[in-house]
Amino acid sequence: MTPNDVVCVLLQGKAASLGHVVTHMRVVSALLIREMEARFGSKPGGYVWALLDPAAHVLVLTIAFQAIARTPALGTSFPLFFATGYIAFQFYQAMVSYLNAAVKANRSLLSYPNVAPIDTVVARYVLQFTTTITVAVVVLGTITAWMRVPPELSWLPILEAVSAGSMLGLGVGLINNVMFVKYPLYEKVFGIVNRPLYMISGIFFLPDMIPPPYRDIVLLNPLVHVIMRFRTGFYDEYRAIGLDMGYTYTFAFLTLFFGMILFSASSTLLRNE
Amino acid sequence: MIRLEQATKFARTRGINKPIIDGVSLVLERGKSIGLLGRNGAGKSTLLRLIAGTIRLDSGKIIRRGKVSWPLGFQGSFQATMTGEQNVRFVARIYGVDTRELIDYVEDFAELGPFFKAPVGTYSSGMRARLAFGLSMGVNFDYYLVDEITAVGDANFKKKCRAVFDSRLQGSDVIMVSHSTTTIRDYCDSGVVMENGKLTYYDDIADAIRAHNGNMKER
Repeated sequence: MTPNDVVCVLLQGKAASLGHVVTHMRVVSALLIREMEARFGSKPGGYVWALLDPAAHVLVLTIAFQAIARTPALGTSFPLFFATGYIAFQFYQAMVSYLNAAVKANRSLLSYPNVAPIDTVVARYVLQFTTTITVAVVVLGTITAWMRVPPELSWLPILEAVSAGSMLGLGVGLINNVMFVKYPLYEKVFGIVNRPLYMISGIFFLPDMIPPPYRDIVLLNPLVHVIMRFRTGFYDEYRAIGLDMGYTYTFAFLTLFFGMILFSASSTLLRNE
Repeated sequence: MIRLEQATKFARTRGINKPIIDGVSLVLERGKSIGLLGRNGAGKSTLLRLIAGTIRLDSGKIIRRGKVSWPLGFQGSFQATMTGEQNVRFVARIYGVDTRELIDYVEDFAELGPFFKAPVGTYSSGMRARLAFGLSMGVNFDYYLVDEITAVGDANFKKKCRAVFDSRLQGSDVIMVSHSTTTIRDYCDSGVVMENGKLTYYDDIADAIRAHNGNMKER
């Protein structure tokens, strides 16, 4: 082999891997369009529901809690307090519940050889992420615009919370796509564990208010930290006692890492049950 | 050209461990249409999926020179909740062909009328087959992998398939699975017989059919 041949072989390899990337991008964008049609195109109103649902949720929480308490745990605005908690939570929760069935919902399309199982997850991830971002901008933007003294946002904590929450969602979603197929019982167990997260992740309370031995238990839940971090971006005065982003990131990275390994090791299972 | 090198695949379900192909090496040259023969459950459809690349070998390699289609079954690889048109559009996008052109071609070929814009889940099996066949013929492949598809549909549809196939086969080859030896004889030049995890290649399809019939008589 002359050096020239070596260069040729190397270039061919590069062209082949570039071709793979192009195919993946083409497939992901085709899946993205297909998912948007399925999710928003099938009912009248379409995109509006994606916004109306969380907005109505925050409204209900506001009305209910305003009847019980005079002021929220933080600041003076009930809507802002609940919206910051609920939307930060959604970066995980809405992501997971949408990702869980990514492969299953596209199973027949996997009979095209250039559609890989991971493409379905990537497409849903992109769609859910942009949807939640839009919801966050519209709902939080509306609330802050109505406030007499709008909060001064600090973007770093907000972006940190968003990336940690959705990374965790992606990791858990990858694991679930495999495990739900492999062990139907796990799906039940996951539901039982995942549902109360809504109650214990600090959407309508602050972990800071919980006395020490119990607070440490609550802080084991990484989503508590995601929500705390998100709120520090909106509330200057919030001290967020016990917030540990190192712990949260470690947890999210490990979940994602494990999810990727499990997912890529199970390609046979994912393609044909 | 499609080349199998020491290709091995076992069917594994609930303690069953049956070889589909076991250490098979075989070269399928361009310019020959091949009929795949074998008894029920020999793994003909699995072999097509292996060649397409939707499932992986346990060991060995399959080398493909040229564009290979997805396995064309009469079930179709359609998402039941999507309309026929949406399914066609999806395929146009993932294979990077012109969307409008493919839709026009398939709409014309499949003759689904208003059903083209209805979910595929509402189709009859004949309608699905027409859509599947039209769709794959609308995309240019070097190899078409066909799994019993021509068995469905009325005489009219079969005639249409035949006509479009004949014009496609000028530049492309077909690898076909069918239980009807008449269909195989009609479409294919050469044959491969699958038996006990081994593949035997016959240059003349008549020899392949004879060998297959011999296998069938044994048991």
